[in-house]
Amino acid sequence: MTTAVLHLGFRPAKYLAVARTALRQALAERAAIVGRMAFFFVILLIFSQLWYVVGEMGALGELGATEFLWYLALTEWVMLSLTPVHLDIEADVRSGEIAYRLSRPISYLGGRLAEAAGDCALRAVTLGIWGFAMAYLLAGSLPKDPSGLLLALPLGVLALGLGLLSMAAIGVTAFWLQDCSPVYLVWQKAAFILGGLMLPLEIYPDWLRQVADWTPFSAFMYGVGRMSFGFDPVLAGEVALRLVGWSLLTTLLLVWMYRRALRGLEVNGG
Amino acid sequence: MSHAIEVRGLRKTYQVRERREGFGGAVRDLFRAPKSELVAVDDLSFAIAPGERVAFVGPNGAGKSTTIKILSGILHPSAGDAAVLGLCPWRDAREIAFRIGTVFGQRSQLWIHLPAADSFDLLARIYEIDPATYQRRRGEFVEAFGLGPLLKQPVRQLSLGQRMRCELVASLLHAPEILFLDEPTIGLDVTAKAVIRDLIREQSRREGRTLLFTSHDTGDMESVCDRVIVIHRGRILLDRPVAELRRSYIGRKRITLHSVAESVDLKLPGVEVIERRPHCTEVDVDLKQSSVERVVQEVLRLTRINDLAIEDPPMDQIVQAIYADAESTPAPEALAP
Repeated sequence: MTTAVLHLGFRPAKYLAVARTALRQALAERAAIVGRMAFFFVILLIFSQLWYVVGEMGALGELGATEFLWYLALTEWVMLSLTPVHLDIEADVRSGEIAYRLSRPISYLGGRLAEAAGDCALRAVTLGIWGFAMAYLLAGSLPKDPSGLLLALPLGVLALGLGLLSMAAIGVTAFWLQDCSPVYLVWQKAAFILGGLMLPLEIYPDWLRQVADWTPFSAFMYGVGRMSFGFDPVLAGEVALRLVGWSLLTTLLLVWMYRRALRGLEVNGG
Repeated sequence: MSHAIEVRGLRKTYQVRERREGFGGAVRDLFRAPKSELVAVDDLSFAIAPGERVAFVGPNGAGKSTTIKILSGILHPSAGDAAVLGLCPWRDAREIAFRIGTVFGQRSQLWIHLPAADSFDLLARIYEIDPATYQRRRGEFVEAFGLGPLLKQPVRQLSLGQRMRCELVASLLHAPEILFLDEPTIGLDVTAKAVIRDLIREQSRREGRTLLFTSHDTGDMESVCDRVIVIHRGRILLDRPVAELRRSYIGRKRITLHSVAESVDLKLPGVEVIERRPHCTEVDVDLKQSSVERVVQEVLRLTRINDLAIEDPPMDQIVQAIYADAESTPAPEALAP
């Protein structure tokens, strides 16, 4: 594979234009937006009932059911806002569409990430507003210290960046595997468990929490959700640093994988 | 630069995993599947002059798309050399990307939920077209391709023919010097095909654009191209002007007779009746066995005729005959022009 494709002069305006176009396309898909909002509501509804029952049994410790619900709203907001860019890359590889896209004067991977970012921006805004409203409706109040929610916003944006990079790396495995869904399922389940999607890491056994802290997932989900427990700028700064660090490492991994993938590219579909 | 495209000894091979038969074979393949080498393009050499319109014809798996992917900088060849606009496609892919266009009939570069105008705007950014040039060219194309009423409709609501017109404009906005077209008329009805062919030919003539056009539809080749390269099993079988192909490759004619007699019963060697209707007989003539003159004389001996048409056989038949020859010859030599 030609290395020239990798070294296209980087012009941010191109990628911004791609992201804007993807945003417009996402806005045109109203049914998908409504579907995601409905799913978000169902998840919050089910877990709000669960947390209130468990909370009455005193099983949630110092934290109340309201904080747990706001925690879940934040972690689900991150997870549901992620655009499945791995599926787009996989589809390009399997259909041979990648050949078409590689012949344009824009980096394939950069273009795909810009598209995903444009789509993700719409998801994050709509689901953010919707999740806030639904969490308030179901919890009946804001968390005890709602100012922590303000810190969750920038952390959520950083987490989405890390999430998109991770999913792009998963998508690149399709160059070898054709089907990247097994890799995605492992990543997703690890994110659910080690990231504390449903339950904050405080209630995990120590050994599992230590394992989680060595992975990107604890910052990716728990780090954002934890802000519902109170305003803690020191912790937020630490989470932000970890998210940036993991994003850099994931970017390096992604670029390395992509270069190797292009070198061995055999485009499907003759 | 004397040639728009020059290819010398191009070869592309793929490693493919073979699958053994049966359940046991499938289990063994999980651990170690035997590999074999598939030759997609084999020692291909040709040159295309600037402004030339060349049909690249061949059956599925002949190596057409692989060649186009190599020439557009997407694939590395296993051996051989190529120059596109004087540049090496796989080393200078960035520069070439700005100077070539691609239209793949089964792919789209348009955003389906958005109007085509949005995709054009984005492509102008991607190809770094200055705004004034973009507006001028877009205006010209909208008029020439009759896109005015379609520009504001989401692409998903367009018919295939309308979408293909938009795809063509999307590929021409940056004024590519070479346009690679990979089956651009696939799936189109007769009218839409004719429109697309006319537009491709006229735009190529007007801007002196080189075309490399792959298609299974020989009508595309006849309508748009000056020259045809027939490729089979990765090798060139034939390379010559389209007009000459009819004359020289196959010695057959098709004669349609409108006779006074209800039917004409021709019994000549090499003459086969293709279709028979009252007062109309269509025959295929092998010129090696019977000349057109002899057939006409025989018809006039049998009946008076009201009308007579002598035609070359359809291009489909010509190409099929070329493939048939290739199938019966294990290592065919290219038929040079």
